[in-house]
Amino acid sequence: MGSSLPPKEANLFKVIVKSYETKQYKKGLKAADAILRKFPEHGETLSMKGLILNCMDRKSEAYELVRRGLKNDLKSHVCWHVYGLLYRSDREYREAIKCYRNALKIDPDNIEILRDLSLLQAQMRDLTGFVETRQQLLTLKPNHRMNWIGFAVSHHLNSNGSKAIEILEAYEGTLEDDYPPENERYEHGEMLLYKISLLEEHGRLDKALEEMHKKEAKIVDKLAFKEQMASMLANLGRLEEGEKIYRSLLFMNSDNYRYFMGLQKCLGLYSEKGQYTSDEVERLDVLYKSLKEQYNWSSAVKRIPLDFLEGDKFREAADFYIRPLLTKGVPSLFSDLSPLYDHPGKACILEQLFLQLEDSIKKTGRFPGRTQKEPPSTLMWTLFLVSQHYDRRGQHDIALAKIDEAIKHTPTVIDLYSVKGRILKHAGDLAAAAALADEARSMDLADRYLNSECVMRMLQADQVGLAEKTAVLFTKDGDQHNNLHDMQCMWYELASGESYFRQGDLGRALKMFLAVEKHYADMTEDQFDFHSYCLRKMTLRAYVSMLKFQDKLHSHEYFHKAAAGAIRCYMKLHDSPIKATTEEGDEMSKLPPSQRKKLRQKQKKAEARAKKEAEEKTEEETTSGSSKSGKRQHARPVDLDPHGEKLLQVEDPLLEATKYLKLLQNNSASSLETHILSFELNMRKQKILLAFQAVKKLLKLDENNPDCHRCLIRFFHEVSSFPAPRTDTEKLIWSVLESEQPDISQLHGRSLIEVNQSFLEKHKDSLMHRTAAAEMLLVLEPEKKLEAIKLIEDSTNKLAPVDGVLGPVREWKLDDCIAVHKLLETVFIDEDAASRWKARCAEYFPYSTYFGGCRSSAVAYAVNDNVQNVPENGVLAYQEAKIEGSRSLNGKLRAFKDLTI
Amino acid sequence: MVCIRQATVEDLLAMQACNLLCLPENYQMKYYLYHILSWPQLLFVAEDYGGKIVGYVLAKMEEDASEPCHGHITSLAVLRTHRKLGLATKLMTAAQNAMESVFGAEYVSLHVRRSNRAAINLYTSTLGYKIHDVEAKYYADGEDAYDMRKQLKGRPAAHHHGHSHHHASGACCSGYAAKPVEADTGTGASVSASASAPANAGERRAGGV
Repeated sequence: MGSSLPPKEANLFKVIVKSYETKQYKKGLKAADAILRKFPEHGETLSMKGLILNCMDRKSEAYELVRRGLKNDLKSHVCWHVYGLLYRSDREYREAIKCYRNALKIDPDNIEILRDLSLLQAQMRDLTGFVETRQQLLTLKPNHRMNWIGFAVSHHLNSNGSKAIEILEAYEGTLEDDYPPENERYEHGEMLLYKISLLEEHGRLDKALEEMHKKEAKIVDKLAFKEQMASMLANLGRLEEGEKIYRSLLFMNSDNYRYFMGLQKCLGLYSEKGQYTSDEVERLDVLYKSLKEQYNWSSAVKRIPLDFLEGDKFREAADFYIRPLLTKGVPSLFSDLSPLYDHPGKACILEQLFLQLEDSIKKTGRFPGRTQKEPPSTLMWTLFLVSQHYDRRGQHDIALAKIDEAIKHTPTVIDLYSVKGRILKHAGDLAAAAALADEARSMDLADRYLNSECVMRMLQADQVGLAEKTAVLFTKDGDQHNNLHDMQCMWYELASGESYFRQGDLGRALKMFLAVEKHYADMTEDQFDFHSYCLRKMTLRAYVSMLKFQDKLHSHEYFHKAAAGAIRCYMKLHDSPIKATTEEGDEMSKLPPSQRKKLRQKQKKAEARAKKEAEEKTEEETTSGSSKSGKRQHARPVDLDPHGEKLLQVEDPLLEATKYLKLLQNNSASSLETHILSFELNMRKQKILLAFQAVKKLLKLDENNPDCHRCLIRFFHEVSSFPAPRTDTEKLIWSVLESEQPDISQLHGRSLIEVNQSFLEKHKDSLMHRTAAAEMLLVLEPEKKLEAIKLIEDSTNKLAPVDGVLGPVREWKLDDCIAVHKLLETVFIDEDAASRWKARCAEYFPYSTYFGGCRSSAVAYAVNDNVQNVPENGVLAYQEAKIEGSRSLNGKLRAFKDLTI
Repeated sequence: MVCIRQATVEDLLAMQACNLLCLPENYQMKYYLYHILSWPQLLFVAEDYGGKIVGYVLAKMEEDASEPCHGHITSLAVLRTHRKLGLATKLMTAAQNAMESVFGAEYVSLHVRRSNRAAINLYTSTLGYKIHDVEAKYYADGEDAYDMRKQLKGRPAAHHHGHSHHHASGACCSGYAAKPVEADTGTGASVSASASAPANAGERRAGGV
């Protein structure tokens, strides 16, 4: 390093390196400049200066210097290494790897560079490369623990677990018998547990167990030790030993459901689907009764039997379970019971039970068969439970009556308002739901949960501005207005993106969806620092599971929603391109093209200037003030596009959409939505074969789904209208389609009209299937529009059966009916039919603001004063909602005044 | 009703979402990764019957060699909808036990807003914490924090040396500025402890040349 320099400058060069490592950038710059005064073209100095400037956020200068340095000294591994570091800092890992490889050509045994290269290989999952580099590192420095471990982990990641085990054993062979010293016991224990999990992963359970027994004293994490041993014993069929350990785990934590499941497994009483013979149920019952005696404080012991008990025994156990929780007033009781509603028959038993308890407490102040009086709050919590039960059953009117009764009983309990808001949301009155949530929020301004719930309801009601103002009450960070984005608050960004999308504001919607996408990119990035960290910390089990988690990170629900949202935005943008929306845009459209280009260039320059100014400001802030800590403080860059308008100015929206579609296809392949989006996108792009692939995937996933049917019909209909193939490519596509078509069983020997007809026959009782068939009828035979509309209107909304008997609630879902209405408006373009549909649905959904149902707040506001004279129960409800609306406004004013966060 | 178990990496996104719903002091994903990759034994979650994460505790070991070995509660939250189940107590107990048995912690510390009476009550009367000190203007809005501590029971013989295990690799925390992040809100439900240290885990430094 710096070897070509005279002694004085060589020393200065060492100063640069040292300053860089200790983040004393100014000092480093000074030294570099001193050298450059004498040797202005010294390659390594130029490179180092660039590297330091890069750390000071002076990117363009940095690249220039580093490239010049390299050009002046192509044979220097320092210059190549620095170039790699520069790329690495910009997340250009592939480029960085190339630079490191060049550096290694010059200096093949450079440990620093090899180590840096191995980190990049781990990050990029270049696993064969990772193994090679790790091997080289171990060969060069076999006396470093980290190199042994790194080599083993690299083989494990590269699917060679047995090699990894061998390496760890060889490493252990290098240790003295009395290893580890006091201060390395944790790390050594982690290494042993890692090795044992490797043995287990490769099916060598006996060897793993043997190892555990042998090394027990050296394993510090006793909980992990026991959990692993119990699960291995169970898997080996050594059930009695397993049972013993599970019982001892329960003794340590009787609230861990997994231990109960493990114990059941060891007793031969476990079924994944929860299906048991009556004999097994009996044995389970006995087991849990005995466990209850032992662990009376465990709630799991009392709750789990509700899953396997049936009939009278279930009723008895539920009764026993529920009573004390009502007396205590546990708000989550309903959500705890709600999975039981999917078990046949249990919802009805619960309903009877709840009503009996309510009745008894109202009449006697006691639970049935008890002499002890309940406190007054028990009635309120019972009403709370009953209300949520009816909400779940879709009987919103009763649910609201019950919750109102509870509120009347005790108006100060906040949870009641939250639940009332939730019921109104389910019933379709989004504005009233938001008002209720706001009411709840104003009752405890210091509780962020209430704030979050309120913000969510406001976004659902498309009150985005209000939602942001409310959210900000908790998200100020110093002088920063809003740190929701910095803190990766994805539920907020998604909900607000979806609201903007509904309102047709594609720019802001895109901005929100892409923000979520960015969080996932950042999370992928986050793992980088841990590749070396975990090898030192020896938290290898956690490290490997983190890598696996990262590999499927983009299959996470939030990402899926964001990507789907972004794709929809881009497709909408493609379908109806936004004309210039801003003032400048209008100005621009009036100009002739040549001037337009000039103006655009001018704008770009102005933007660049603004950005540079902002960066300079940042730098000032960085250097002043808090540089003591040595940590670079990233001030946030100025948002040059707060409304997402620039996002709308993409050249080719479909190309952008394709990027996100690929991520969905790679990570959410089992989701219908992925392939529906792929179909829509590829049809727009005229990528016939890709669209066909999407259709095939959809049919495979669910051929009876209305949307899949739509795609099938639309695809073959559109293809049939294409002109005869002319080019070779077209001919090729045609021949592929022709050869594949026989595989689509739906189409065998039938016309599309017949296919659609038979789909209708097969699903004639389902609204959404009829609607799909009607829409396709319109596509295939536009002249039959009225017939198609009649298909929809002739659908009947029957009572939905509950446990085999007809219940009190009709089948149709609010969201489906809204979708049908939109279709009538925008696809059938038939105002009369749409308004007939609306009137009909207003009857079914009296609380729906969308349909203007008679009990919805939309109507209540319009009806105004007369409302008070109408005695009907429901009307009182929206009158109330109205009052609450105004009251909560006050609440909000209070909030802004009083809240000092 | 609710399962209390050790957190896995797969839980982190849900923990972050839970934190953002309940508490005003939030962290980027990297800070959660830093915790689970440093002290995987010290993170616990409360998972409801439907598999939803309704509470968590995020804890760490302090690795300052000048102090006796001790743990610190970075953040604790339980959804408002899941109060009155004793989840905060169960989560705290689990984390404290792990600090003691795995890392040999002598005591555990936390910060709490002076005004958060519900949380202070939980820490003192249920969990046995005592006010050790007051940190003036600890929070960004100028509120004081109580520095609370709880002495852990005698450590099991096997771990008497515990004190310095993790100091061996103390380098892990050398790069982080200990900027106090504001902490804690709320009454009742979101009884929370506070936090320190920004999410800047691992080596930032690029390799030396």
